[in-house]
Amino acid sequence: MGKKLILLALALMVSFETASAASADDFYKGKTIRIVVGFSAGGGFDTYARAIARHISKHIPGQPAVVVENMTGAGSLIAANHVYKVAKPDGLTIGHFIGGLFLGQVLGQKGIEFDARRFEYLGAPITDHVVCAMTKASGITSVENWMASKTPVKMGGIAPGTSTPDNATRILKAAVGLPIQLVTGYKGTAEVRLAAESGEIAGGCWGWDSVSVTWRKALDSGDAVVVLQANRRTHPDLPQVPQAIKLAKTDEGRKMIDVGIHSDSDIVRTYTLPPGTPKDRVQVLRKAFEDTLKDPDFLADANKSKLNVDPVPADAIEKDISALFKLDPAIVGKLKDILYN
Amino acid sequence: MLEMFSALFTGLLQVFNWSTFSLMMIGIAVGFVVGILPGLGGPTAMALMLPFIFKMSAVEAFAFLLGMTAVTATTGDITSVLFGVPGEPTTASTIVDGHAMARNGEAGRALGAVLMSSLVGAIFAGVALAVAIPVVRPVVLSFGSPEFFMLSLLGITFVASLSGEDQLKGIVAGGIGLMLATIGLDPISGIQRYTFGQLFLWDGIGLVPITIGFYAIPETIELAVLGTSISQQKVEKLGGVMEGVKDTFRHWWLVIRCSALGTFTAIIPGMGAATTQWLAYAHAVQSSPDKERFGKGDVRGVLGPGAANNSTLGGSLITTIAFGVPASVVMAILLGAFIIQGIVPGPDMLIPPPKGKLDLTFSFVWVIIISNIITVAVCFLFLNTLAKVTQVRGSLIIPLILLLIYLGAFAEKNAFEDMIIVLLFGGLGWVMEKLQWPRPPVLLGLVLGPLAENRLFLASDNYGLSWIWRPGVLIIFAVTLVGILYPLIKKKREEKTSPTAAPTTVEITPESGLQFGWPVIFTASVIILLALALWQSRNFGVRAGLFPWVIGTPTLVLALFQLAKDLKGHKKISEPAFEGEMAVEVSSAVASRRTWTILGWTVGFFVAIWLLGFSYAVPLTMVLYLKLAGREKWPITAVMAFGTWGFFYLLFERMLSVPFPDGLIFTLFKGQ
Repeated sequence: MGKKLILLALALMVSFETASAASADDFYKGKTIRIVVGFSAGGGFDTYARAIARHISKHIPGQPAVVVENMTGAGSLIAANHVYKVAKPDGLTIGHFIGGLFLGQVLGQKGIEFDARRFEYLGAPITDHVVCAMTKASGITSVENWMASKTPVKMGGIAPGTSTPDNATRILKAAVGLPIQLVTGYKGTAEVRLAAESGEIAGGCWGWDSVSVTWRKALDSGDAVVVLQANRRTHPDLPQVPQAIKLAKTDEGRKMIDVGIHSDSDIVRTYTLPPGTPKDRVQVLRKAFEDTLKDPDFLADANKSKLNVDPVPADAIEKDISALFKLDPAIVGKLKDILYN
Repeated sequence: MLEMFSALFTGLLQVFNWSTFSLMMIGIAVGFVVGILPGLGGPTAMALMLPFIFKMSAVEAFAFLLGMTAVTATTGDITSVLFGVPGEPTTASTIVDGHAMARNGEAGRALGAVLMSSLVGAIFAGVALAVAIPVVRPVVLSFGSPEFFMLSLLGITFVASLSGEDQLKGIVAGGIGLMLATIGLDPISGIQRYTFGQLFLWDGIGLVPITIGFYAIPETIELAVLGTSISQQKVEKLGGVMEGVKDTFRHWWLVIRCSALGTFTAIIPGMGAATTQWLAYAHAVQSSPDKERFGKGDVRGVLGPGAANNSTLGGSLITTIAFGVPASVVMAILLGAFIIQGIVPGPDMLIPPPKGKLDLTFSFVWVIIISNIITVAVCFLFLNTLAKVTQVRGSLIIPLILLLIYLGAFAEKNAFEDMIIVLLFGGLGWVMEKLQWPRPPVLLGLVLGPLAENRLFLASDNYGLSWIWRPGVLIIFAVTLVGILYPLIKKKREEKTSPTAAPTTVEITPESGLQFGWPVIFTASVIILLALALWQSRNFGVRAGLFPWVIGTPTLVLALFQLAKDLKGHKKISEPAFEGEMAVEVSSAVASRRTWTILGWTVGFFVAIWLLGFSYAVPLTMVLYLKLAGREKWPITAVMAFGTWGFFYLLFERMLSVPFPDGLIFTLFKGQ
């Protein structure tokens, strides 16, 4: 009798499991999806995530509730490790941490407990566009007179290993040979901007989507100038601004810019799923993510918040990441040297 | 000019738009409660409320959020005064004298003083924000990293005034705070300092869990040991409220100076009310000719921080609005609100419409002022009711406070580890209190340390050594010097004029031999930890190691002096603060038993959360505590436990979806 009961129970459980796995439609009904964001409430990562969270539900069969959960610390590495190790791979957890950590893994950054190749990827709402902006007062108003500067030009940084400004600035210095003194330790790009305005440093290199909004006034008046960009495609706002990769002196330099800045810009705002999430749910969420980024309501929200949307599809991100793991060891060694020393 | 006034007026009109006004009232109500509840802080509440502003207009959103923030410091003071538990991490300083007054039976006066000074501080903040608008950009831009470094150094010298009677202990405590501040990734080279391989220590240890632990846990223990309600004396009626209000005007210039201190220091990124409150307290002590009553219930020690923790908001807002640089944690979240609303902080905020958004900026000014007027008025109406809470049996209050402590620590960053920090620093704070080590210097060192270190390196990287000769640096240096020397000179002069001034302290030297008691054990542990820290720092390299060495070494030396003092048993016994006024006498055997019991409950609550998760731990510990420790009747127990659980579950789990971790037991079962 007892055995039969257990068997029955097991059979029920199995059928229940398969049923729930079979159709993702029913699965999401009445459930809650959590987007684990590795940065604090109110930051750029958080704001995108919240805008997406508000609209993605209607693109998922079953219309689950979607909430944003902030798990801050160690430059979002805590969240990355959590999504990899702790979160259940049931399609109810979406991770959002800084994509620079993927390159970090290849370069042997400390504290990383994930393998980037095993995450499932949803895509990214935007690709970053790295630019270097300087104040007029610094005297650096073009890449030519930057190159000609006899003294190293002071550029603001946040902490070693940060995608922008630190990594980008260090790579540009090495690859293009620009005279740069990276002054690191500012708390965020807002402080870098303030320091540039007060004349302490000349400027900094970070995303155009942030520079163009937060420094609008100075850009319009000519008090701040974008002198260089490092993007795969020349940004439509900046047709005249030279591309760093064209100024690089060697193949090695070009490769470093491509990997350390261009690729990184694509994957920096990646949304991930824990490894082992059922494939059908991955598909459902990928499609939902894609559709959300085209949803007029979402775009209206993003537009109100001045968030640019320039989606990077999941397969492009997978390609970028797998390319990181096929890098020539010489480049890896060189990048390690440049970024962490 | 005319445009400015019209913007000022438009701003006011916007606030009185009915939808804006009602949202502000909701904000105030939330802030009111969050402020009063210990543990739960303004920034946490603000982050939790952020999702709600998507649907609001800009004016509405900021009226809602600012109204909420503006009043937390005001009502937080009430909890600090009445319970001795900080209502907000930013109101911890009002405990020192405010709670002492409450225990002396002067709760009414303390509350009157703290509310009135809060109001003055808030109005000052609003006015300062409005007045600063035309000049703020050039003034702030004339400050660079060197000046920021000097200001943080100036702040650190305030440790002396916060040390109370025992300067040596105070300076060692300040050194400990500065050393604690070096935990985490060093900001310049990214080297891990004292992180023990723990990721959650990469960003250092948070001020919020430390402040909660430092003040809330010792007071909870105290409450349990005395076995009374919070007020040890029967508060017949809450007399003296008007007296407290009058005190504000009696010490008008102190209140104004502390308001100014709060506003102007807060302009510096990194200096929030958590710092300015202590600077204001230190200033109140330093500027008073007679210092004996401080720490024992001096109203000036209430007025200073009461004003400053409110006026800070104005200063932080200046930096946030004019530059988009968040000056504090609250402001970082508010900046998120700016992003969501699609408003770019910066010069535009200071230009009258139609070109700019000055009217919005002025609406902030009005919200700060109006929300505080409303709050203070409401508080005065309900003061007696509020004060009655202090007469509720301790056994009913203690489990609630414990819950809020852990909840607040967790919800700030959704980090489980922060609850451990609360517990550790609760223990440390309790020991320090018992052994008469001042705690404020630790907090000040903790906040100012990173600022000083960061800005020192930024200054030298940017300017080499020439930053020393910048005029701003020289001026601040002169101010610092005056601040240090003036009290010394004054003291010397006073000693000359009245050589027979009665000593307030009595030196007691034991007959003979060395003393090996708790003081020695504690000081020795501090020395061992400092030595270990210094030993570990040998691998940090010059840049990351500079600060730990420069601070650790003198602190270690001074701690050795302290050890010698402890061994000799030199004890400065000041007039015991509450003796004779204490209504309850507890024999030492009972006290020690009760101490162990409450320590057990405090740790037990944490273990329950760890094993079972919040949802199960909350009702379970409630019932157990009320039945076993409180010996309450079943009806009360059931109502309390269910009510607390319902409040917790509905608000935090359902409405705000705070991601509480599952209990260890459940993850073990489910996982394998």
